[in-house]
Amino acid sequence: MLLAVGQIVLRIFFSYGFIWADELVKLFVLWIALIASIAASRSNRHLRIDLLSHFVADKYARFPRIIVEAFAAIVCALLAWHSWRFVQLTIEFEDSILVDFPAWIAYSLLPLSFVLMSYRFALSCGSEVVRAVRPDEAAE
Amino acid sequence: MIFSIALIILAIFGAPLFTIIAASAMFGYQNEGIDLMAMAIEVLGIASMPMLSAIPLFTFAGYLLSESNAPHRLVRLTSAMLGWMPGGLALVALAACAFFTAFTGASGVTIIALGAILYPALKQDGYPDNFNLGLVTTSGSLGLLFAPSLPLILYGVVAEISIDDLFRAGVLPGILMLVLLSGYSLWINRHNRKPLGSFSWGEVGSALWEAKWELPLPVVVLGGIYSGYFAVSEAAAVTALYVFIVEVLILREIKIKELPGLMRESMLLVGGILIILGVSLASTNYMIDAGVPQQILAYITEYVSSQASFLFLLFIFLLILGAILDIFSAIVLVVPLILPIAAQYGVNDFHLGIVFLAAMQLGYLTPPVGLNLFIASYRFNRPIMNVYSATFPFLIILMISVLLIMYWPGLSLWLLSD
Repeated sequence: MLLAVGQIVLRIFFSYGFIWADELVKLFVLWIALIASIAASRSNRHLRIDLLSHFVADKYARFPRIIVEAFAAIVCALLAWHSWRFVQLTIEFEDSILVDFPAWIAYSLLPLSFVLMSYRFALSCGSEVVRAVRPDEAAE
Repeated sequence: MIFSIALIILAIFGAPLFTIIAASAMFGYQNEGIDLMAMAIEVLGIASMPMLSAIPLFTFAGYLLSESNAPHRLVRLTSAMLGWMPGGLALVALAACAFFTAFTGASGVTIIALGAILYPALKQDGYPDNFNLGLVTTSGSLGLLFAPSLPLILYGVVAEISIDDLFRAGVLPGILMLVLLSGYSLWINRHNRKPLGSFSWGEVGSALWEAKWELPLPVVVLGGIYSGYFAVSEAAAVTALYVFIVEVLILREIKIKELPGLMRESMLLVGGILIILGVSLASTNYMIDAGVPQQILAYITEYVSSQASFLFLLFIFLLILGAILDIFSAIVLVVPLILPIAAQYGVNDFHLGIVFLAAMQLGYLTPPVGLNLFIASYRFNRPIMNVYSATFPFLIILMISVLLIMYWPGLSLWLLSD
């Protein structure tokens, strides 16, 4: 589903690429950034300093990984909460962009994407915990 | 303090960098009593940065190119043009990789797309194995200083300087790196002077003909950018559209049904970069408000007075930085902080940019976390320690060229003075 959304956005983006509706293009860049980073959370492809996985045996890396994923989930949840408050504010003030398109519609992707990212990190944290507690089942 | 140490530990444990940056920015805002809603506003700042649309577009074009047969055609064309020289294939590898990296944005695809062709070919031609491994690994980030590479664009966006001028500044330093590496390759293989083949206009002609669809691309894009006719974002849109038409619609080397997967793959990288950019806008603003650059400046002016020693300090710092951070995160995080400091020492913005990127290019090759090392180790199925040692001589050559670039500002600024 995320794939489909990304595709549509890109397609619109390409067809609009030459009409220099500058603001619109910039908004698309923002959307692409957010959608793509949801996808990056899902595929575990965020940029990291990747020392552990290269140099420490999987067994020992598990505990740190649980902490790290939990941390990421919490940070994203905080970001989601505060950006949601921001979106509410823009609804209240009836901010608009692109002449008179309500800003909150464009901005609401922000909390949404952080919620999804938080959910992803929580999931992978959970699966690490499960693997740590019941190593045999995870192997299957 | 405890909080920062905890963050550093989390980062080393492998937490996504953007969460680390976001956490430190939120912590800072909280301490200053700024409403954390400001985070959202800062992240939305992505939507107000100029030229940023170039990044997803060039990345997409680069992925398309590397999935098509364009790498084969490029290697054939360069061999036809350079293969007659002694040690020809090594030169072919360097030139083709530099060109390809510039167009695909230095994300490691060069090693995968071109290395897979060049590595066996070098071996067949009797070059020593470690040399080949080192050469291919090094070449994966070689075109970094040539337009339209992604790190150059990102640097221009973050430093708020003209990307066109930055492109021009990168040309000569990039050529210097190529020349030094070529010289080294020729010297290493001085006993193996076998040319790849004799020069033939016929072969050049047919290689050119085979690449006829791709040929206009560098001419239009590079010509357009270097002459200042196109803005970077326009060039990116033209490139993406053109590559799409050629590889998917005309040559049909990429099937329509492969396209969504390819888009997704290319956007993963873009998402990773841009989300870091977004949260860094917040943390950078906080750090600048808190006067962090001034504090660092005050601290180092106690020890460092001349520009030359400042540059050397910067070099060491960038080496360490490059060894732990990828180039994109490093640009976004560090550039806003060192810009004001470097300006105090009278370092030109464009010169600083080229030095920064050239030094970060070393980071692709420095243990422990150099990206190219891992890609090469994975791709060619060689132990990582083997790749370290094979790449080491090339790393030294590149270090020398970075020092040359650093202490010879004229090299970067030559093409700017018009």
